[in-house]
Amino acid sequence: MAAGTGDLLQGTLGILILKALQPREMHGYAVARWIQETTGDVLQIEEGSLYPALRRLEDKGFVEAQWGISDNNRRARFYAITPQGREHLRNDASTWMRFAEAVMVVLRTEPSLVGVPQPAAV
Amino acid sequence: MREREIKAIAEWRKYLRFWGRDVQRDIDDELRFHLEMREQDFVASGMTSSDAHDATLQRFGSVDEVTRALRAHDIGRERSRHRVEVFETIAQDVRYGARKLMQSPGFTIAVVLVLALGIGINSAIFSAVDAALLRPLPFRDAERLAALRVIRPPSAMRINGAPAPKRAPDTDDVAAMGDVIEAMGSYAPGSLNLSGGNEPARVKVALATPSLFPMLGATPALGRNFVNAEGSEQANVVMLSYGVWRRQYGGDSSVIGRSILLNGLPYTVIGVMEKKFIYPAGTDLWIPLSLPFEWKGAGGEAFHNYLPLSTIVKLKPGVDALTAGKRVRALYAPFETAESPVKHTAAELVLPLQETIVKDRRTALLVLMGAAVLVLLTACANVTNLLLARAAARRREIEIRAALGASRTRIVQQLLTESVLLSLAGGVLGIAFAYSGLRLLTTLMPPQLVDLAPPSIDSRVLGFSLLLATMTGLLFGLWPAFGAARKSTTTTASSKRSNSAGATARDGRTLRSIFVVSEMAFALMLLIGAGLMLRSFRELVNTDSGVQIDRVATLELTLPKARYDNGQAVMGFYNALMERMRRVPGVTAAAVINELPLRGESGIGLEVIAEGAIQDPNKEPLYPKYLRVTPEYFQVMGIQLRAGRALSDLDNRKQPVAVINQAMADVLWPGQSAVGKRFALGTMPGEVPSYITVAGVIANVRSQSIDTAPTAQMYLPFSDSPELFSGIIARGTGDPKTMLAGLQAAVRAVDASQPIYNLQMLDQAVSKTIAPRRTNTLLIATFGLLAVVLAAFGVYAVIGYGVSQRTREIGIRIALGAGVGGVLRMVLREGLILGLIGVLVGLGGAWALSRILESMLYGVSARDPFTFVAAPLLLIGITVIATLIPARTASRVDPVRAIRIE
Repeated sequence: MAAGTGDLLQGTLGILILKALQPREMHGYAVARWIQETTGDVLQIEEGSLYPALRRLEDKGFVEAQWGISDNNRRARFYAITPQGREHLRNDASTWMRFAEAVMVVLRTEPSLVGVPQPAAV
Repeated sequence: MREREIKAIAEWRKYLRFWGRDVQRDIDDELRFHLEMREQDFVASGMTSSDAHDATLQRFGSVDEVTRALRAHDIGRERSRHRVEVFETIAQDVRYGARKLMQSPGFTIAVVLVLALGIGINSAIFSAVDAALLRPLPFRDAERLAALRVIRPPSAMRINGAPAPKRAPDTDDVAAMGDVIEAMGSYAPGSLNLSGGNEPARVKVALATPSLFPMLGATPALGRNFVNAEGSEQANVVMLSYGVWRRQYGGDSSVIGRSILLNGLPYTVIGVMEKKFIYPAGTDLWIPLSLPFEWKGAGGEAFHNYLPLSTIVKLKPGVDALTAGKRVRALYAPFETAESPVKHTAAELVLPLQETIVKDRRTALLVLMGAAVLVLLTACANVTNLLLARAAARRREIEIRAALGASRTRIVQQLLTESVLLSLAGGVLGIAFAYSGLRLLTTLMPPQLVDLAPPSIDSRVLGFSLLLATMTGLLFGLWPAFGAARKSTTTTASSKRSNSAGATARDGRTLRSIFVVSEMAFALMLLIGAGLMLRSFRELVNTDSGVQIDRVATLELTLPKARYDNGQAVMGFYNALMERMRRVPGVTAAAVINELPLRGESGIGLEVIAEGAIQDPNKEPLYPKYLRVTPEYFQVMGIQLRAGRALSDLDNRKQPVAVINQAMADVLWPGQSAVGKRFALGTMPGEVPSYITVAGVIANVRSQSIDTAPTAQMYLPFSDSPELFSGIIARGTGDPKTMLAGLQAAVRAVDASQPIYNLQMLDQAVSKTIAPRRTNTLLIATFGLLAVVLAAFGVYAVIGYGVSQRTREIGIRIALGAGVGGVLRMVLREGLILGLIGVLVGLGGAWALSRILESMLYGVSARDPFTFVAAPLLLIGITVIATLIPARTASRVDPVRAIRIE
C-alpha cells in the first residue's frame, strides 16, 4: 500500500529515521534513500518532511547533527543517533510491533477479508 | 541573479549572522544538497534532466514550506542558545567582578559610600518631586479638577430689606453651565473646640458642600456622606476624619449616631471618612456648608470675620481650564460697564487644581533636584577617576585575559559589570540613606499634599533609583572600561614596565584632569548656590521687621458663643484675663489681638476711604489690614510710635479712633500729617458713613509674615468690637517655659473649661513659617559641602597619583638641584592650574544658572558679587590645601632611591 504521508506517519517517521541511523551516521538524503530501498519503495514519503522530523529528533536529544563532507565532496549535514536515541528506538519499536500485531490479529478474525495478504509463516 | 540582488540578500543576511551563524545559508545548503542528489539519481536512472527536476520537486514536497519550518526552528534555537550564553557570561562577570572588588576593600567601600550619597540624595529628592509634581493629585479624575477663582457664592446680603443688586456673576451661574462644568464643590477651613470625646481639643474643621466628597472621589469608611438637605440647612451633622476617629473615639464603630459638641453645640456623627482622604490640609472633621453662607451654628463660629471659601469645579471631559475660564469670563458681560471693566482674565478665573497646589513649591523642588544631580555628577567624576587609576593598575591582568582570547567586548562587559555592581551596591545603601531622610522633606511639600501624598520610598522611587544606579554605573564605568580594553588589545610589546606605566600615566593624566576639572566646576556651582541661599537666609533672619519677636509668648483661643453672647461678657473675659496675665511673674505687658502677627496668613482687609476724598474709579481702593488690639499691644511688640499717641483704655465707641501705619498714612494723606484726620470703613451705597479719627501713626512693621514687606495696616481698639477669636500675646523677662505655663494658668484661672491652642513663643512660631526656606537652604548647603569635599578629594587623588607615578622624574629633578622648594612649587602649580580651570568653568555655569534661584532668594541678588568672589576663592584655597599633601610627599622623595627604582 502506498501509505498516506500525512498524520498517520508523523510519529512513525521518527522511528524510521532512528532505525535508519542505527548502524551509522547519514545525511538527510541518505536516510531518504535507505527508507526507499528498505521498504522497496512501498513507503513513499514526502522527502521534505524528513527535515523537520530530524530537527524534532535533535531537540529531543535522540540525534546529533554536524556538518561534514559527503562522498562526492559536497558540504552536507550528517545526523548520528545518540544513546538516548537508541533507547527510545528500542522502546518505541517494541510498542509499535505489539500494536501492529494486535491490529493484524483483529483483521484476521473470521470472516476473513479477501485479498488481504497473509503472513508468510506463523 | 544580478549583482544588486545578490548584494541585497547578503545585506539582509547580516541580521541573521547576529545569532552567530548564518541560519538561512545552512538550511539552503542542506536542502539543496538533497534536491541535487535526488535529481542526479533520477537522471542516472534514465530520466531527462527536466523530468528529473520535476520529479524531485514533486517527491520532496513544498521547498518553501520546509525552508520556513526549518528556519523558524533554527532561529528559535539560536536565540535561546544566545540567551543562555549571555546569562552565563553575565553570571561569570558578576562572580569575577565581585571577587575582584572584595580584594580591594578600601577602594570598594570608598566608592560605594560616595555613590550611596549621590544616589541616595537623588532618590530622596525624587520621592518628593514625584509626590508633589509628577503624580496626579490623589483624587478621582484629578486632571479634570480646577480651582474657580474670584467668583463668589450667591450673596444673602440685603439692603434696606431688599436683596442687594447683583454686581457680578456668582457660583450658581458658573454651575449652571452644564456643558462645561460637571460638578462643583466648595469648602472653607476653620477651627472649633471639640468636646465629648476623650479630651477637649481644638480641631481643624472644614465646612464642605455635600457635592465636594463625591466630586473628589472620597468615600466614607463608615456611615454616609452629607445629603443635599443637610447642606442647604447647614445641619448639625458631622463627618469625622479617620485620624480623629481613632484618636478621639478609639476607632469605635458605634460612633455613628453619637452626639459630639462643637463649641458646645451638639452635632451628630453621620460618617467617618476613609483613611487616605484629608482635604483641605490637616482637616479633622467636616460639617455641611450652605451657600449662601449663614453665620449660624458651629459653622458660624469656625472663622474670624470672613468666610475663607474655595471652590473647585470638575470640568466636563475634554474641556480644558482655559476654555472654562473664557466661558466664566463671558458671564461678566451683562455686568460690565464702561466705568468698571472686568479686571480678570480667563486664565485667572479657572486654574487647574494641581497648578494651584504645587505652584509655590515647584521651583524649590526642581532646584533641589538639579542640585542633587550636580552632586551625583561630581560623585561620578570622582569615581571615574578612581576607576581609571584602578584600571591602570590592572593592566597586567587585562593583558593576560586578552592574550588568553577574551574579545574586547568581553573585557568591556566584565569591567562594566564591576562598575554596575559598585553602583547597585551604592544604590541599595543610598535608598537606606534616603529612607532615613524622608521626614526632612515633608517641609518642602505643598501643605495640602503632606497628608494626602507624603513622599515615600514606593515602587516608583525604587524603580527610579535602580535605573539611576545602573545608568550611573554605566556612565562612570564606560570610559575606564573602553580605555582599558583598547589599551590591552593594542600591542604591548615587552617594553620596560616603568616606561609603559609612565606612558599610561601621561595620557591618562589628561583624562583624569578633565574629570577633576569638571568636579571642581560642579562643586563651585553648588557652592555658589549654597552661598546665595545662606546669605539670603541670614538676611531674612536679621531683617528689621520693626517688631521685637523674642521673649513674647502667645496663645490662641476661641470663646464659645453659647456662653459669651454679648460684647460685655466677652470683654469681661478678656479684661479679667489681662489682669491675671499682668500678675504672672516676669510679664511686662500683655495684650489681645484679633489675629496673631507673623503667621503667614493673609487675614482680612477692609476698604477705607479718607474723609472728603473722592473715589477714583481708576485707582485700586485701599484695603488696609484690619487689626483689633488692646492698647498694650504696641508695648508687647515693641512697635515705635511715629506721631500722635497710641491707643488707650479710655478710647471708646462714641469717639472711634485708630492707629494707622505709615504706609496707610502715605496713601490716604500723602505729604501731610495723618493725626487728627478721619476715614471711614467701606460703606454700602445709601448708608451713612461712620468716621474714625486717626490718633497716631506707627512705623511700618511686618505683620503678615516675616518675609513680606508691610502694607497698609490699621489698629482699632479691641473693646469697640470684641471678638470671640483672638490671640493673647505677652512680653516678659522670664524664661519661655515659665511664661507659657503662666499664660496657660491665667486662662484657666478666668475660665477653667476654656480650651487654648497654639501655646508657643512667638519666635518659635515665626521660625515654623520659614521652615521650607530653612530646609531648602540646609539641603543645598549640605550638597555644596559634599561636592566640595568630593572635589577636594578628587584633586588630592589625581595629583597624588601623578606624583607617585613620576617618582623617578622627581628624584632626577631633585638630584639635578631643583631643591625641595622647586618641587613643591611644581606640584602646587599643577594643582592650582586644575583649580583655576575648574573655577572658571564653574563660574560660567553658575553665572548662567543662578537666575533660576531668584524666586527663592531674599534680599540678595542672584548675581551677588560677594558670593561670586568668595566661593571661588574658597574653592581654590581648598584645592591648594588638597595639593599640599602630595606636594610634601613629592618634596620628600629621596633622589637616590627614586633613580634606583627600575
